[in-house]
Amino acid sequence: MLPGTEDISCLEALAPGAPVGIVGVPPLAVMTALEKSGATIYDLDESIVKRDMEETILYLPRVYCAILRTVVMNSFHLDLQAIIIDVGPGKCDCALHVATILTDRLPIPVLKTRNIDATAYGTPLCKAKLALPDKIARICKSIQNTSDHVQLPACRATAGFWGVPPRDFSLLALFPETTHVYGWTRCMENKTPADLELESHFNPTLPTVFFAQTFCAKTALAKHLASRHPHSLFLDNDITAGSSTRAKIQAFLELSGVYDASC
Amino acid sequence: MLLADFGTTYAKFIDLAAPHPAPYLEPSKNLSHELRVDMATGHNGKRFSNRYINELTALARGGEHLIKEENFTLLDCGSRDIKFVRYEKGRLADMGWNAECGASMGFTIELLGRYYNIDYEQLPVPEQSFSVTCGVLGMSQIFDEITAGCGEETAVARFVKSIAINAYRFAGEPERIYLSGGLCDNQLFVKSFPGDVISLGRFVLLKGLAVIANKENEWP
Repeated sequence: MLPGTEDISCLEALAPGAPVGIVGVPPLAVMTALEKSGATIYDLDESIVKRDMEETILYLPRVYCAILRTVVMNSFHLDLQAIIIDVGPGKCDCALHVATILTDRLPIPVLKTRNIDATAYGTPLCKAKLALPDKIARICKSIQNTSDHVQLPACRATAGFWGVPPRDFSLLALFPETTHVYGWTRCMENKTPADLELESHFNPTLPTVFFAQTFCAKTALAKHLASRHPHSLFLDNDITAGSSTRAKIQAFLELSGVYDASC
Repeated sequence: MLLADFGTTYAKFIDLAAPHPAPYLEPSKNLSHELRVDMATGHNGKRFSNRYINELTALARGGEHLIKEENFTLLDCGSRDIKFVRYEKGRLADMGWNAECGASMGFTIELLGRYYNIDYEQLPVPEQSFSVTCGVLGMSQIFDEITAGCGEETAVARFVKSIAINAYRFAGEPERIYLSGGLCDNQLFVKSFPGDVISLGRFVLLKGLAVIANKENEWP
């Protein structure tokens, strides 16, 4: 058994195609077991169930990370047979407490993992020329299998996006295709979500938006790194990106000359 | 060329094609739905123009033009929100827009003045302030102060000072701050800031539009 990870032998009994939810980036060994079982994987961090988020206040405080509120929403409305939730240094303490709630409230196995994988898979998508929403969606999808990444040419970067995949991907559409991705999203693609050194890395020559979900502990790191970066914008956002959030990103990129450089 | 900054409570206009252009104000509630301008910014700007410039960009361009310094912080305090840009060595270094925790500060100050019939020009800056999260939540604090025996004018003055300190901290506590927006006209608010304050008035975003349109030379 992996250190810090609960017994996952119950996954062997799953029928092919069985729906299983994952939260965060489970360890490679767990994902290998899931692949072997042929389970259908749902990334519960993503907005799958389109219902009013206020429903989650039955289980969580309203002032809570929107990603974990999304996890709860998905978990209660998808007909899952198991949930694997990473609660280690590669995710957060809040996920640990959400795991407690899900274990108590749901009649299915909720398996806690602590991913401390250190095998670097590389980060080709983070540096590729691609629309940023598509780029980050592909990075999120990449954690669902264990195969090697397809190699892609790195583009000349004109901007940086540091942070986690946002609850509302629409804010990513404001960035140019030549935006390089940093922070925990880069750790996701590298399959080393607990690598704080990689997470803290940024390029000081690139105008960079340091993003974290409102009420997420990573806001502290985002704000700190933004203060160390010579040309940055610290940004937090909760459920949906409002006009002021969009305007901040747009004005920052425009006033930094990013749009001109990306033409 | 008609330029406009459509704020929450007031719209600011300038017609650069007029024989003697001059900026002017119009209450937002009086605007006609048919009104169209050549270029707009502000909360309601998209409704009235096909060319919309976001408020931070307009603020920054106006500031770059009006402030002849390489390092400066410009804070705009309007009815609904506060926003700032900070420049270092002539380049944008930081910016912020607080539409949530800065919500309705200006509007609340105006409403309080009318309700309690307060002349902010005459009110001295109080010694004390209190912790306020936003304009709306700060109202409860005012009522608590009054209940505790504080005079109405003093309670409101403490509230205004608290809002000014919040805005100052939001902008990064600069030694000198350039101020724009409707609250520039409120002397109690302006005097409540720690450090040097230079008021640029209500038309900085409008000036920014003129710069973006390459029409700054036509500004009076």
